[in-house]
Amino acid sequence: MEKIGIEQISLAFGFIILMLGLWGILSRKNIIKIVLSFTLFDTGLNIIIVAIGYLKNKTAPILDSAELQTDTASKIVDPLPQALVLTSIVIGLGVTSLLLVYALKLYKEKKSLFINDYKDLKW
Amino acid sequence: MVNPIYIVAVLLGVAFTSGFFSKKGKNIAGYLSMLALGFVSFVSLQWLHGFLSEQQAAAQIFTTAFKPPFSINLLMGKEEAVFTSLINIMGLIGGLYLFRKLKETGSNAFIALLLLIMGLNVIVMTRDLFNLFVFMEISSIAIAGLIILSQNVKSISSGFKYMLAGGLISGMLLLGTVFLYYFTGTLNIDGMLQQNLNLVKGSSVAVFLVITAIVLELKPFPANGWGVDVYEGADAGISALISSAYATASVYVFMKLIPVASEQFQFLIAAIGIITFVASNLMGLRQSNPNRLLGYSSISQIGLLMAIIGLSSVIGESTNFIVISILVSHYFAKAGLFWISGIIKTNSIRDWSVLRHSKILLVSFGIFIFALVGLPPFPSFFGKWELIMNLSGSHNFIWVTAILVGSFLEAAYMFRWLGYAIKLELPSEIKPVIKLNKIIPVILFAASVITAGYFTGMNHEYGKLINYIPLAFALAFVLIEFLPVFIKNTLAIAGLALYFYLNYQSYTDISRIFAAIFLLGGILTLLAGYAYKGKRLGFFPFALMMFAGLIGLIEAKSTLEFFYAWELMTIGSYFLIIRGKKSITHALSYMLFSIGGAYLIMAGLGIASIGKADLTLSILHQVTEYAPLVFILLAVGFMTKTASIGLHIWLPGAHAEAEADVSPMVSAILLKAGVFGLLILLMAMGEQFIGKVSIPYLLSWVGALTALMGNMMAAFQEDAKKLLAYSSIGALGYAVFGLSLMSHLGWLTAISFSITHFMLKALLFLAIGGVVWRLKTKDMYKMGGLIKRMPFSFFSVLIGIIVLAGVPPLTGFSGKWLFYQAVMEKQWFLQGAVLFFSGIIAFLYCFRLIHAIFLGQLKDEHRNVKEAPFWILVPQYILLAVLLGFSFLPGSMLKPIGNMLLPFLPDGAIHWNGQLATTVYGYWNGKTVMIIIVGIFSVVFGWLWFMNRKARKIKQFNIVYAAERPFRPETTHFAYNFFAPYKKAIGFLVAPGITNFWNRIDEGAHAVSDKFTKLYNGNGQTYLIHIVAFIVVIYLISFGGF
Amino acid sequence: MDPILVKILYALLTLFIVLNYGLLIQGIVPKIGARVGRRHGIPFYQAYLDIIKNYSKRTRVTHGIMFYIGPVFRLTGGIGLLMFMPVIFGSNMFQNFSFTGDLLLVLYFQFFGVLGMALGAAESGHPHSAIGVSRGLSQTTAFEFPLTLGVLSLAVQYQTLNISDIVAAQQGGFMHWSIMTNPLAAAAMLIAFLGAMGRAPFDVVLAPQEIPIGPPTEYQSGLLGVLQLNRAIFPIAKLILFMNLLFGGATSWPELFLKTFLIYMWSVFVGVVFPRFRVDHSVRWFLGVPLLIGILAIIVTKFF
Repeated sequence: MEKIGIEQISLAFGFIILMLGLWGILSRKNIIKIVLSFTLFDTGLNIIIVAIGYLKNKTAPILDSAELQTDTASKIVDPLPQALVLTSIVIGLGVTSLLLVYALKLYKEKKSLFINDYKDLKW
Repeated sequence: MVNPIYIVAVLLGVAFTSGFFSKKGKNIAGYLSMLALGFVSFVSLQWLHGFLSEQQAAAQIFTTAFKPPFSINLLMGKEEAVFTSLINIMGLIGGLYLFRKLKETGSNAFIALLLLIMGLNVIVMTRDLFNLFVFMEISSIAIAGLIILSQNVKSISSGFKYMLAGGLISGMLLLGTVFLYYFTGTLNIDGMLQQNLNLVKGSSVAVFLVITAIVLELKPFPANGWGVDVYEGADAGISALISSAYATASVYVFMKLIPVASEQFQFLIAAIGIITFVASNLMGLRQSNPNRLLGYSSISQIGLLMAIIGLSSVIGESTNFIVISILVSHYFAKAGLFWISGIIKTNSIRDWSVLRHSKILLVSFGIFIFALVGLPPFPSFFGKWELIMNLSGSHNFIWVTAILVGSFLEAAYMFRWLGYAIKLELPSEIKPVIKLNKIIPVILFAASVITAGYFTGMNHEYGKLINYIPLAFALAFVLIEFLPVFIKNTLAIAGLALYFYLNYQSYTDISRIFAAIFLLGGILTLLAGYAYKGKRLGFFPFALMMFAGLIGLIEAKSTLEFFYAWELMTIGSYFLIIRGKKSITHALSYMLFSIGGAYLIMAGLGIASIGKADLTLSILHQVTEYAPLVFILLAVGFMTKTASIGLHIWLPGAHAEAEADVSPMVSAILLKAGVFGLLILLMAMGEQFIGKVSIPYLLSWVGALTALMGNMMAAFQEDAKKLLAYSSIGALGYAVFGLSLMSHLGWLTAISFSITHFMLKALLFLAIGGVVWRLKTKDMYKMGGLIKRMPFSFFSVLIGIIVLAGVPPLTGFSGKWLFYQAVMEKQWFLQGAVLFFSGIIAFLYCFRLIHAIFLGQLKDEHRNVKEAPFWILVPQYILLAVLLGFSFLPGSMLKPIGNMLLPFLPDGAIHWNGQLATTVYGYWNGKTVMIIIVGIFSVVFGWLWFMNRKARKIKQFNIVYAAERPFRPETTHFAYNFFAPYKKAIGFLVAPGITNFWNRIDEGAHAVSDKFTKLYNGNGQTYLIHIVAFIVVIYLISFGGF
Repeated sequence: MDPILVKILYALLTLFIVLNYGLLIQGIVPKIGARVGRRHGIPFYQAYLDIIKNYSKRTRVTHGIMFYIGPVFRLTGGIGLLMFMPVIFGSNMFQNFSFTGDLLLVLYFQFFGVLGMALGAAESGHPHSAIGVSRGLSQTTAFEFPLTLGVLSLAVQYQTLNISDIVAAQQGGFMHWSIMTNPLAAAAMLIAFLGAMGRAPFDVVLAPQEIPIGPPTEYQSGLLGVLQLNRAIFPIAKLILFMNLLFGGATSWPELFLKTFLIYMWSVFVGVVFPRFRVDHSVRWFLGVPLLIGILAIIVTKFF
């Protein structure tokens, strides 16, 4: 059996964080905590993305040294997930901030951050 | 062609620019945004036009110098052109609708709108999975931004739930995307499609994640509470955007990605879609908030589309046609409905009667409802037709059943709603403010959906064969509604007459009889319409639409034409029926039975088309598979119109509440459509068997029991028109029985009976209508003695009931005589005896009708009533003349009909010698019977006159009264509960068992609906749990956990 | 002479015979009843007296046109019924106008008079008339059901609806009569016959013993006279129908008198023995056992 490498560890770690976030989303009753759980969820996700792009014994896809100019693809890790993760983080930020805006507005309406208080629409 | 990249560029550019405008510049920002949306609409429409005129090839747009998979590429193909056009137009018109609201908030609101539309465009066009994710996020953030524009707790909390759910779903999408990338090494969708993903280990989980995320975006049941809440909570204009623009884009994404999934997974999703469709419509039943109701309806429609796309491997090449036609209807209708809801701003659909303040809104509302339900001439009609044809043509009966059940539920709440709007009392406190920028979008979309319907029809193989001229003629009356009744009536009559004159020679024999009933009958009943004053708004278009449908039935060559005509007739008659005073519930039940019946017909035609290359009506002649099933479906469908027992409960109220000249239209004429349907069904398919039991034999019992029940109910009615309505049910029972005999004599009976019933029922309904017109009451016991005031109406009714009762020498007897000969020949004596018994019961109500109204004691308040209006009497006396003519010369009617039947049922069985008819069993000469009876009558009368000529006419109260004197006409007129002893003896037979049965079904559906909706408890977190549970369950199903 | 004219003359002769027979029976039957009860009773020619009295009344009133022609309908119905039936089997003279229609015409034509009379009575505005009509119609519908089943059973048995053919099939001794060959149908029909004759226990419609209740309540003078003529003809016509269908018809007038008198006495006997039914009772009664017998008759003839 192969040794467990950094990519497996970070993948597992990512999943754990993701699940933690999910658990928080589903179980916390405070709106702010839910939003925070969302960021945890996103973070876990981002770690997973990066971990997936990692390839053993390969270097960063920064093509500055001459050595990397030849046979590039076999020497570097996949650059794409890392690019994706940037976008994903940005989007995560946008979503989180909008969620917080909503939390603020909700609080202004009912002076409460208890999610069970917002059941005006149902059935 | 403008490069589609400009769609993105312009929207983005204007959005950025708008950011620079201060609060003062928000007008400029607004106009600029509208301009931008207009431009992008133009671009996508230009592409669409290019594709439709077939000069254009799909175009790839590359965003960088690299080619995919190393860069993001956009695709502008035919589908993309359609979807982006829809989205951009929605952006433009929806933006117009929201203009004032957005302006209040400032330029940021316009930016959100522009970004939403931009995001949706890219979602549609992109071929890159990650790009898709990004722009889906952008769009949902934009939507969340738009939702929060309305600063109230409902709106905000719904937006929050939306954000939560969206966050979870997009996380899942991202995860799936990355895994897919991991397994395939590409983010390009085309690249993924080229690899057979099912072979790569582990990739199925990735596919599962991506597809499930997209499915969740489409709000599947039950993980869609957040979606429903948003539809209700957001401003109606925003909900319109979500429903029409966002959902449209999501559907396309789903279409784009579904080929990645394995076929089994596609079926699973189709199943989810169909469950969503049925469940959401079921839950729609109990909704009273218009926006929430529309939300359920939106979700259900998207569920249907999900199912269709999931089933594309079964449906085959017409999938795109079906999806687009249903989607387009939904798109226009749902946007329009949300907009209307936003204009009138009520919390209950019961308050929608305020729509009557604005005729144009009411008309648009009706158009949208019909488009949603899938009635002609709207796109979804063709889509649903094609869908059912394909599914049943490929043996997928469970899917067909589910789709039809769901559609039926949707029709139920939609038409209930329409009924409320048309009929409920106007709430005084609500008066909608109608602003131009809000009403123009509604009108535009209403007009567009009609146009779209026309184009959809033209793009359908059989749809383009449909003769739209009669419908156009009917609709033309909408444009001349401002004219007085006199002119419109004359035009309508002239139209029908001209059409009949031009075409009657092209109809084959039996069709000609029915064409005469439909068109000449139409002319006769329209004659009575001259009695009306004013404009009679909304009468002529629908009356003519009904006649257009009826004549379409006769002219139909293909199954689609037939079904189209059938539905058209239903629409027209629905509006005629709902004109009546208290007809709100009756019109609804009429519509529901009609739609239910129509769905059965559609399913039947679909199954009949299995293995057939074309879809002409002649396929019914060669049904090889499931023939009994086809037969039953079609027969039951037709019997909803003939109001056979069990399916009759809509009729009495609908016919009784209708106006004086509408009752004869719907009773004397419309019901014959069912007879015609049964006739062509039997002609084409002949006798079918379930096991060893002949279906016509069952039909004969249906006919007999219908007649018994109808006539018995009629005998116990207090309401004159209800009495006639039940009598129609009974009479149609005879017709059904006659047809079920499957013999020359039987059909001769049925057809001649239909003709006679048409005449006598038109006569009676007109006569009674005239009485009701004058007396303003339909309760017979409140009338009495009117022979003195309305002798002409009396004479009509007298002849009418003698014909109805079948007493010789009038023509009613010919029906009875033929009927017995046919029974003898077929040896179905027990049914025959039941029918005879029903015939005798007809005496009860016939007598009651004429006695309680015209004989007995005249009431004080009626001493000065006038004879019925002249124009109501005119058609009566024309009918009387014809009836008496046929009575004298029955052979002249029966012989030609017999000859027409010869090609189908060669065994003539009846022989004519002048007016003497002979069969194996008996003989009858109508002419001599008439002469003898008239002779005896004259002699007896002469004798009496001679003996008693000095008889003195005495006053009303001058009667032998056991040494007392009568108190008042009201107490002396014996009419209320006239057959009390009869009711005491066998009244239990007419306990409303069938009505109760249907009521219980109705209550049951509502109860289930109630239980289902309890799932959505309003808590955002519960909704998230639903989503997670949904994912887990789908995972377990697709990966063998279950 | 013109054959049509001859036919009419013969028909008038039939009518004349039947009328007198009917009037006499109307006197004789009560007379017999009275004698059985050791009373003197009415003279056997009482019916003639009544008719003469009614036609010679000086007070003649009418409630309107329908009231006036109601009795005309009634009598036309009675005469017509007779005219559409062959009366004497094998005699050309007394076939009447039976060439113009079969059994069905006869069955349905019965209602011509009933309906017309009901209309006339109703125009009088007297509630008792209307009540009578309501009762009469209710009861009629009930007994017609077993009657029809019986008739249908006969039609199945003989495979025809032609009365003459049915009579012809029964010739050759009483063992060939329908009552022997198809006892179930006969039973159903004879029970229904009790209702059709309107005697006790089914006489609540006219309620002859009480203060006048029933359709003719308001009728007097010549109008009542016409009704009385019908009351003589109509029952005899019905008797002839039953005789033709069940008892082999008649080949001569004496045979006809005998048979119809005996059939008539069947209803008289039952009437003497049983008390009166209320209408709701009689409706239920007819739709009970008699109906079952009728259904049985059909099933037996169809399948055995």
